[in-house]
Amino acid sequence: MSGTMSGLVGIDVGGTFTDLFFSGDGERGQLVLKVPSTPQDPSKGLLAALHAAELDPQRLGALLHGTTIATNAVIERRGARTALVTTQGFRDLLELGRRDRPTMYGLTGTHEPLVPRDLRYEVTERLDFTGAVLTPLDEAMLRQIGETLRGRDVASVVISFLHAYANPVHEQRARAILAEIEPAWEIIVATDVVREYYEFERTSTAVVQGYLQPLVARYAGNLARELAAWGFRHDVLIMQSNGGVAPLSRLAGRAAHIVRSGPAAGVTAAARLAAAAGFSHVITADMGGTSFDVAVVIDGEPKVAELTNLDFRIPLRLPMIDVHTIGAGGGSIAQIDRGGILQVGPRSAGAMPGPVAYARGGTEPTVTDANVVLGRIDPDSRMSGPDSRLDVPAARRAVAALGEPLGLSVEATAEAILAVVNQRMAGRIRLLSIERGLDPRDFVLVAFGGAGPLHGGALIREVGVRAMLVPRYPGVLCAMGCVMANLRIDLSRTIEDRLERLDGATIARILAEQREEGEAELARGTTPIEGTDTVHSADMAYAGQIHALRVPIEAGWEPDRLAEAFTAAYREEFGNTLGDIPVMLVGLRTTVTGRRRDVIRPEELAPATGEPQPIGQRQVFFGTWHDTPIFRREDLLPGAAFDGPAIVQQSDTTTVVEPDMRLTVDAAGNLLVEVRA
Amino acid sequence: MNPVTLAVVRGSLEQIADEMDLHLIHAAISPIISETNDCAHGIFHPATGETIAQGRYGLPVFLAYMQFAVQNVLKIAEAEGGFRPGDVWVMNDPYLGGSHLQDVQLIAPYFVEGTLFAIMASTGHWMDIGGNVPGGWAPKAQEIHQEGIIIPPVKLIEGGRLNTALVKMFTANVRLPDQIAGDLNAMTNVFTVGERGLAALVAKFGREVVTDCLDAMIERSERQMRSYIEEIPDGTYRFDDFIDNDGITDEPIKLTVAITVEGSSMHVDFTGSAGTTAGPINISRNTAVSSCYVALKHIFPDVPVNGGTFRPIRFTIPERTLLSAEYPAAVGGYLEVVGRVIDMLFGALAQAIPDRVPAAFFGTIGVLTVSGVHPRTGSYFVGVFPYPGGYGASRASDGLVNATPPQSMANFMSLELSEHRFPLRFEYFALREDSGGAGLHRGGCGTSYGLAMTSECIVSVLGDRVDHPPFGIAGGGPAKPSEVVFHTDGRNWTPALRSKQEKEVLRAGDAIRVASPGGGGFGDPRQRDRAAVQRDLELGYISRETAERDYGVPQ
Repeated sequence: MSGTMSGLVGIDVGGTFTDLFFSGDGERGQLVLKVPSTPQDPSKGLLAALHAAELDPQRLGALLHGTTIATNAVIERRGARTALVTTQGFRDLLELGRRDRPTMYGLTGTHEPLVPRDLRYEVTERLDFTGAVLTPLDEAMLRQIGETLRGRDVASVVISFLHAYANPVHEQRARAILAEIEPAWEIIVATDVVREYYEFERTSTAVVQGYLQPLVARYAGNLARELAAWGFRHDVLIMQSNGGVAPLSRLAGRAAHIVRSGPAAGVTAAARLAAAAGFSHVITADMGGTSFDVAVVIDGEPKVAELTNLDFRIPLRLPMIDVHTIGAGGGSIAQIDRGGILQVGPRSAGAMPGPVAYARGGTEPTVTDANVVLGRIDPDSRMSGPDSRLDVPAARRAVAALGEPLGLSVEATAEAILAVVNQRMAGRIRLLSIERGLDPRDFVLVAFGGAGPLHGGALIREVGVRAMLVPRYPGVLCAMGCVMANLRIDLSRTIEDRLERLDGATIARILAEQREEGEAELARGTTPIEGTDTVHSADMAYAGQIHALRVPIEAGWEPDRLAEAFTAAYREEFGNTLGDIPVMLVGLRTTVTGRRRDVIRPEELAPATGEPQPIGQRQVFFGTWHDTPIFRREDLLPGAAFDGPAIVQQSDTTTVVEPDMRLTVDAAGNLLVEVRA
Repeated sequence: MNPVTLAVVRGSLEQIADEMDLHLIHAAISPIISETNDCAHGIFHPATGETIAQGRYGLPVFLAYMQFAVQNVLKIAEAEGGFRPGDVWVMNDPYLGGSHLQDVQLIAPYFVEGTLFAIMASTGHWMDIGGNVPGGWAPKAQEIHQEGIIIPPVKLIEGGRLNTALVKMFTANVRLPDQIAGDLNAMTNVFTVGERGLAALVAKFGREVVTDCLDAMIERSERQMRSYIEEIPDGTYRFDDFIDNDGITDEPIKLTVAITVEGSSMHVDFTGSAGTTAGPINISRNTAVSSCYVALKHIFPDVPVNGGTFRPIRFTIPERTLLSAEYPAAVGGYLEVVGRVIDMLFGALAQAIPDRVPAAFFGTIGVLTVSGVHPRTGSYFVGVFPYPGGYGASRASDGLVNATPPQSMANFMSLELSEHRFPLRFEYFALREDSGGAGLHRGGCGTSYGLAMTSECIVSVLGDRVDHPPFGIAGGGPAKPSEVVFHTDGRNWTPALRSKQEKEVLRAGDAIRVASPGGGGFGDPRQRDRAAVQRDLELGYISRETAERDYGVPQ
């Protein structure tokens, strides 16, 4: 790679907007922009963003990309026509799941599996839990199924057999036979996607992969062609749900890994920015129009969930950054419940009709309306569209009507709406169990999304977090996160045996195999990396427990050492241990990270030379009306500092500095808001 | 009362109860708690024992009965000089609490400046409680002593000191002493979480303010519940249903309910229901009342779980019925009775508000228990496989397949994990074709599965809904009934009581095969969309015969 090509571009394609973040080569600095998304063919919006940014493809070192195509295809059931072949007697597992219902209360609603029953086939074969063959694979029967399937117009065929994680011999043989019958099929072997037990979750994950693979392959092909036509010569990297990137050329095979691409990128960026600012423990708070996404980062590493439900009865058992969502956003509707108590959300006015202040027909007061009533949002801002001011009187009328039966003034009602929604968000943060031995004062809250910095100050007070950090580009943080991510491969294997029955050599051999597999996968890409890092962990539990604890381990540890590490971790998590109950090794995990050579370079910012000057004053309500200075974000340079009350405005968000808080600007241009001592 | 403070305090109390739920779910040893959330936590009023807030992760079956348990313990504690700081009470007496002996409750007072401020409770299902059948579901029990040990309300911890003698009594009388000791420990730790939350709340708002909120929350919830009852047309709605038999005598057991709605009040009257049965098909009064609230919460999901919610409803449950069991009646089959009570409320209210009520669900939990000594480890094991099945259809939708019972959120164990842990093998696990009730909206299909043993095991099953299948509403048809078949020595046979069999010894190669009912249908099947009927046929959800007979397809 030549030294002249150092420009990096990150593009996040969301449902409404395609965001671009460019980190320059020293000549152009940084650039951010948004263009409308093109859901019919998302690559069009992506190219439009590149053109709008007037970037030179020849001088671009890397293009990194987050996308929602996979999520949307699952939710809207727009994936490929997929068939499923299972062990005799078990084709319905995919539809049946594990005995549940969509919500705790209320018995209505159904479930549409990604593979309908008439495309699910059974073949005679059976293994036991050790992987021993009880019934050989009936190859003639499988060929018969293959012939039938040729007439059924399917694009993908998923093979998932019981206990194949212990021995994939039948699954692999079945793949070979079906590939002979129809080479055009995308054939997915479940244990190639997840090599762990739990038949429903593994099958579901493999089906998601099969369902998405043709779609993602087509998208990857289109994008590669269009970028080549544009003049871009390098491989594109795609953001995965685990926070790492994978090359576009290998994307089809990892289709199930990109379902939460955008949120993962946002958390990754927040974690990196906070780490650069000196914070290793981070809560990321992304508040938009309809939802509040929160994730926890400890020692610079985002917490990862092993299982995520994409929809009711569609679990995905792959490592994904653990982003929790509640229905609390700017559009969340406030109402008085039948007991006379104020409630906010989860019902949302959404984009249409939206908050009352947007004057698009909304009549019910929302969180945004409360912020408007209290003067926190600029009435002249163009949130509702390029040509319209906010309708403040309408917002006041709606909020006043809500507060009247409670005997509250319009301002008190607006404050109450914020208090209730802030408490819901703070509660979600607390439930993320940051309290397990961790002091909230060690955390920084990175607020982003359109509404995050409006509420972040209240949240840090409620949860007891030290500071709120508002990055320079809170509206395009996901695009920025793409640029910052490394390559990452996760591997795992189920063991499910007592430690006392295992030996260190077996464990070391499995870890070595996983490491080699990960390194080989990274070597197949063309992205320049300066080195790889391998991290091993073990999932362990007391015999009988279902929930395992993940404990970092090193290759070469003997079972005794693993047991010690488990007991120590258990004590830290739960405050005690369970004595002499045997310890189970549930599974072994390996993460191989490829450190990209071309990493983002921080932009040099000139320090502030004097006191920042407000662009004006506005009445903002904090208990009473305060004359409050209004600042432009671009005027706040490193070193600037002032006490609240204050409002900081930028095109994509508003930061509120409450009267007892102080704002400082750090060397990277982040705003830090803290409660004054 | 400042409305903002009230809203915030309510949210905080619900949050504390949620944190207690999650703590136990993550720390418990028994898979039934950690995997199926078979637990509940709540915060209760210091004077009345009414529910203030209950965790939202625990099971619905515990919805109201924790309040009754707390109220009973409160009385007993007062007679002994009242709660003292550092005390934790324990009990599992189902006549004072509810459900069955496996559900053990811990109750702890919380003091602020020397005054009782609130009461906390933790309920957790123990995997074994002694008694005649491992796991506790004894289909032939005729008195409670055959079902396990009874723990009357006593102090487990007094002034901060654990009564280790009591713990030894527990562990000596159960089959899984390590698990039970671990779970007891985990449940005790939950109160630390609760205390921490309450202390922070009191520090923030002050004792008086929070106390006022506790009272206001109960009053507001009552108002909310009344507003829903007002939407039900006034009148008396009656419904009868039957349980096949009590596990002892092969005679149907009649249940009857009359629900009278008058303005914002409701009266639920079970007069005319059968007497306490000789077998385990009984529930205590508390459990019967709690079951009614579960049904109402499924119809009106927005009502909070709070003592005030329970106030507008009056119950008449005559003494000595199967819904008001007293010592020494066996109660191990309580899940079957709870399910039937829920169905009966649906059946009665479907006459008044058919668009809000679902048809009967699969209606039998049929707890299938496999136990024995595992040949690989030499230790005792108990595996519990409760039925999944179809939900009843509603105005809103067809019924769900492989659903969890309305009184539960418990999942079915992973088949692969089951084979790792127990000496058995699944033969099949499938959607049971043609088993949902016909209707404009079709009931969900049931589930069928076969379990073959790979070494000697003891198998018990405690089901129902064979002779009296789940009903449809608003013109919808009934679902297929339940089925249980044993396969031993190469021969298939059905238990004499069809769905109930106690401690059958199965050898390697023997099997048990069960098929759970679907849910009832909603509305006239001949009005069902023709394309939907065609699709049901293609997918095997219904048979050709059903399509022709019930749906009139092809015409």
